[in-house]
Amino acid sequence: MKKRLSEIGLASSIAFTYMRAKLKQTIIATAGVTFGITVFIFMVSFIQGTNEYTQDIVFEQSPHLRLYNEVQLNKKNGLDRAYPGMVNVIHHQKPKDILLNLKDANHVLDELKNDSRVLAASGSLSAQVFYRLGSCSLNGKVNGINFESENILFNLSNKIVDGGFEELSTKPNSMLMGVGLAQKLNVKTGDQLRITTERGDSFIITVVGLFKTGLTDIDKQQSYASLKTVQRFLKVPSSYLTEIKVKLHDKELAPKISQEFQRKYACYGSDWKKDNSSLLEGDVLRKMIVYGVAGTILLVAGFGIFNILTMMIYEKMEDIAILKATGFSDTDVRWVFLTQAFVIGTVGAIMGLFFGFLLSYAVSKVPFHSDVMITLDHLPVSFKTIYYITGFTFGILTTSLSGYLPSRKAAMMDPIAILRG
Amino acid sequence: MNVLEASHINKYFHDPAKFHVLKDMSFAIRKGQFTSITGKSGSGKSTLLYLLSTMDTQFEGSIKIKGEEMQGKSNKWLAEFRNHHIGFVFQFHFLLPEFTVLRNVMLPGLKRAEYSPGEVEHKAYTLLKLLGVEDQANKRAALLSGGQQQRVAIARALINDPLIVMGDEPTGNLDSKNTAIVFDLFRKLAAENGQTMIIVTHDDDFAGKSDHVIHLADGRVLN
Repeated sequence: MKKRLSEIGLASSIAFTYMRAKLKQTIIATAGVTFGITVFIFMVSFIQGTNEYTQDIVFEQSPHLRLYNEVQLNKKNGLDRAYPGMVNVIHHQKPKDILLNLKDANHVLDELKNDSRVLAASGSLSAQVFYRLGSCSLNGKVNGINFESENILFNLSNKIVDGGFEELSTKPNSMLMGVGLAQKLNVKTGDQLRITTERGDSFIITVVGLFKTGLTDIDKQQSYASLKTVQRFLKVPSSYLTEIKVKLHDKELAPKISQEFQRKYACYGSDWKKDNSSLLEGDVLRKMIVYGVAGTILLVAGFGIFNILTMMIYEKMEDIAILKATGFSDTDVRWVFLTQAFVIGTVGAIMGLFFGFLLSYAVSKVPFHSDVMITLDHLPVSFKTIYYITGFTFGILTTSLSGYLPSRKAAMMDPIAILRG
Repeated sequence: MNVLEASHINKYFHDPAKFHVLKDMSFAIRKGQFTSITGKSGSGKSTLLYLLSTMDTQFEGSIKIKGEEMQGKSNKWLAEFRNHHIGFVFQFHFLLPEFTVLRNVMLPGLKRAEYSPGEVEHKAYTLLKLLGVEDQANKRAALLSGGQQQRVAIARALINDPLIVMGDEPTGNLDSKNTAIVFDLFRKLAAENGQTMIIVTHDDDFAGKSDHVIHLADGRVLN
């Protein structure tokens, strides 16, 4: 073992002499690897940062799972009941008129709150309304919520940019309005406006605060009011809830638990994965693109190493013959060239990680304002150790591979053929 | 005592056409003997030397060095055997140009790893002195003249106190004065250390002064 190590040491010292003699080429090869890893780290960090940012704002607004009722077609119609066993065809069947509330919602809420897997649950009631101010009339949505429990789920208090939520439960007919909506209606905290429900009932309400989630759809259409206020708008009893939103301890379990709750409470359900499937799918695609591009760049860097080593081996054929003649084995000769690939790969990869970090850090400080992602003030960049580990492994792997072939060629070279000339 | 025994060696070249280079060659070389291999160009001198040096393993017959059969041994085993027992001086290819003279001489000794780097360096320096090129020790090998390089190569061949020193026209690049120095050195090593010399040469003077001449013609040994 000790002998083996000293042999590798000797081979490395020969390798270093060669690299010093070909310093320029060695530096260029190293720079190639450095560039590849830098781009890899930067791209992964930036794209993942963007992904994580968009996911965070969307998922913050998206409960882990929700339970609701849906307008549906009656699967078994009257004709089937009257003439069982016959082929009954009904054209253009009308949906059944049902109440969209969840059955026994308050009891379900209590049960969910006692479930050990559930972190928090909040019942809500949403209503389609028209916001009217002067001649302006805008379509939108009012969410009736219990502010305390909804706050646990969506961290609402952090999103309030003006006014406050305290009055929501105390002041009748008060609401928190999305900033986009308030801007369109030109209302401020303290202003009053009129809303009209689907049934045509009108109410005067007071804006007690403004919120900003960063999602344009929500900020331009929604407002929050207390559960009681919305129940009064819709003229329904206090047990009337249309949706229960649940936050779990482990969100990965959501699809499974959703199924269970749907069966148990006889309602419809959805989970965050289903609600955001296009976003999650896009995430996978973006990741594939990043790894594809970075892989290609590293491959090119690998070709650089391959080229330099192959050329060096042709230049050093006589040296190889002399080394073999004086007692260096095939393995020793292979180590001479493999060491070079290894050193170039390692140095290149470490420098790549360093520059990749620097570049990512610099980009994360670039101010960035967007009308769409309104909570963003700098470019989003993700700094995760796993990218650096992946980049390093990737770099070492490609360089070792591209060093392996030429060094094998050197090891197999026949000294006689060279010496005979 | 025979240090090298060759029996019924046959060697063929296959490229471009099959060609019988060495034909049923048998001979023995005694320990401490100064042997010259002579013959016209193309008579197979160098080919025979490469076989004896263990670098060329494609042959029929048997070569025994120090009683060990060389036929059928692995490359790794042969490399180690060369490192310990054979010193080689080439005709055209001398030194690793990017290394210093001293380092060139030291490399086979470092590979052997029997003595510490310090001891190997000391020995390399002594050998360079013996060959009169000690003042070049720290220069890059590429900067030396052909004659100087050849002498450094001889020093390198001697670093591991080999049983046999083989040379493919080792004095081909030296003037008559230096040829005489090298010849005397080889003689001395053979006489004092019992090291065996096998030298391929064109030089009839050189061959004439050796103990034993193997003269080749058309791939056969002439006596």
